[in-house]
Amino acid sequence: MKKSNWLAALGLAMLATTAVQAQENNEIWHYYAAGSELAGMNALIDAANAATDQYKFSGVVIPGNVVELRRQLQTAFLGGRPPALYQSSMAFELKTFADGGQLHPLTDVWAAIDGDKIFPEGVQRVVKVDGVPFGVPFDLSLINNVFYNKEAFEKAGVDVPTDWASFTAACDALRTAGYEPLGNAGGTFWSLYNFYAALVSVLGEEGYYKMASGELGFDSPEFSEALDLYRDSMVSCYAKNWSGKTWTQTADDLVNGNTGMFMMGIWAAGYMEQAGFKAGEGFDMFQAPGTVGKSIFQMDVLAVPEGPGVAAADEFIKAATTPEGQAAFATLKGSLAPNINVDPAVYGYAGATFTRQFSEASANNAVLPNLFFLLPTDLGTEFGVQIERFAIDPSDTVKSEMISTLEGLRQEALAENAFIKW
Amino acid sequence: MAQPKSRLTRTDWTHIAFLVLPALLFVTFYIYPVISSIGLSLHDWDGFSPRMRFIGITNYTVLAGQPRFLHAVFNNILWVVFMLIVPTGIGLLLAAILDRGIRGEKAFRIIFFLPFTIPAVAVAAIWRWMYEPDNGLVTTVMKVLGLGGFAQNWLGDPSVVNFSLMGAVAWWTTGFAFLVFFAGLRNIPTECIEAARIEGATPWQVFWKVSFPLLWPSTIIVLGMAAIDAMRLFDVVWSMTKGGPAYSSEVLATQMYDLAFGRFDMGRASAVAVYLFIIAGIIIMPYIVYMSRRVQDSEAE
Repeated sequence: MKKSNWLAALGLAMLATTAVQAQENNEIWHYYAAGSELAGMNALIDAANAATDQYKFSGVVIPGNVVELRRQLQTAFLGGRPPALYQSSMAFELKTFADGGQLHPLTDVWAAIDGDKIFPEGVQRVVKVDGVPFGVPFDLSLINNVFYNKEAFEKAGVDVPTDWASFTAACDALRTAGYEPLGNAGGTFWSLYNFYAALVSVLGEEGYYKMASGELGFDSPEFSEALDLYRDSMVSCYAKNWSGKTWTQTADDLVNGNTGMFMMGIWAAGYMEQAGFKAGEGFDMFQAPGTVGKSIFQMDVLAVPEGPGVAAADEFIKAATTPEGQAAFATLKGSLAPNINVDPAVYGYAGATFTRQFSEASANNAVLPNLFFLLPTDLGTEFGVQIERFAIDPSDTVKSEMISTLEGLRQEALAENAFIKW
Repeated sequence: MAQPKSRLTRTDWTHIAFLVLPALLFVTFYIYPVISSIGLSLHDWDGFSPRMRFIGITNYTVLAGQPRFLHAVFNNILWVVFMLIVPTGIGLLLAAILDRGIRGEKAFRIIFFLPFTIPAVAVAAIWRWMYEPDNGLVTTVMKVLGLGGFAQNWLGDPSVVNFSLMGAVAWWTTGFAFLVFFAGLRNIPTECIEAARIEGATPWQVFWKVSFPLLWPSTIIVLGMAAIDAMRLFDVVWSMTKGGPAYSSEVLATQMYDLAFGRFDMGRASAVAVYLFIIAGIIIMPYIVYMSRRVQDSEAE
């Protein structure tokens, strides 16, 4: 054989070896790139590796957020080499990929882990498409808590607000005492999450789900009333220049005592604790007016693409849904474990408070998934953009334009039969 | 009389052999994706479903009627104007100053060029913190200088955000214009400069009447690259604002990305790509043709 042929054969052999190695090493793609989030994900992967000798798992960070992960996934699907599992959002995100024939139905492993018993009903409904589970919850965060600086409240003589009237009164008192009353941050999600409190106040749980299923229009009087409530109660309280800040910068403002309150997902508690600002000492939290006794949540799940990694993924899921696996992630990341069998004692002050809130909401059947992911993707995203626009300029003109834009998209989605009754 | 039949020589075949691979790569990775994008733009497709629905030119007509799309086009044009004037002008100014042989020239060369070596995402991260509206470096320095009243909500005010982004990009890209102009100035024959000085030209006249006209090759490179960079602008905008707040800083490339991966609308994203291709052609091609002619004229003179 010629020397060049030998070299070619050697190259092919090396390529083949690399391919085999890539398959044996089962990858979990996620976008938790740093800090407590990465620590939690690594703990989850370690738990899975410890539970099985048959498969080896490793995490691959896709820098960015869900959008960047989608880009990477689409490329992987086109190339026929998806990861064994990946971090996915709930509800419509799962449905889109399931409808596209890319996701493996998790019926068997769901039965094996007793998914119908270990996850609350409100959680289950957003991981199933037509009754078939396509995602397994591992990271649950409440998004209806308002964090407050205890010292600021004391100095301003403010009690913890319990309704909208006391909330706006607290804003006035904080402003008079020299604090920015309520922090917020720029981006598609944060103003929207704040708005949910006003929306639930007006619509209640039933109306919230009607909005998700497309039954209630954006041009309805109820939606208009929710916008007015949001404008009068929260937008009027927002700190100067809020739209130019990231959520971590605003959390810093709360830690530094510049801002009195900040409504954000419970991951903010983890961030502030990491900065040495302790829950129960430096800051505390309360459920936003209109959501007392209720829990609005955002959740990430593990999704499994169709492909050779399915068997390994099943083993990963079995390990990741045990109380130990779920606690390993949640305690490090600062979120809640969706598995109800996780001992509440594993959490600190903040986690214990959130667990209590979530249990109470579950008992009241008042667990509400993030509306952003219940709506068709285009409508949900536009909803976030338009609410941020309204929060920056809460004029009647902008209100009217946003209602028209969102209602137009709702009509399009209705025509395409795109809504789901979750 | 009939021409003798041309035959390829061994050398010709060697040339062809060397050209095959680049040509194949060009067709595979440039021509095919362009054609494929045009095809995709005529479909409704989420990016991974097995089925695509042919919808003709609907994506194009819908986009043409959307204020969001038109705003992104406007922003791209604004960026072209900015990139042609500001980083280029500052780069030329810095090069002209340094060309006069001031002390510490080597250090300044490095300082001026250094920002251009930083990756776009790192530039975005740096400026994201610099532009923090209350305690960021920009606002703090303005307060120290007694200009606090002029401080803005740099990245959060829809009427300001584009100018803030342009400030960051100017800091980042001026080094390229500076380097090219500086090299160009150093390549100008000293006899021309000296002749002008002997004739009694002032330094200003020497620069505008002698140096600047002889810098045309450098100018073409800098302006050409600036226009292209403005049309394909993505990374800094996406990393700093994601096109927000409320689409105010969106450009065509970020809109394309949002539609494709944020909203699973690959067909419409492809239509944006085709529009971008056409608009870039309309804006940049006449300029390149004009500049090329000026070079030829300049060389002829």
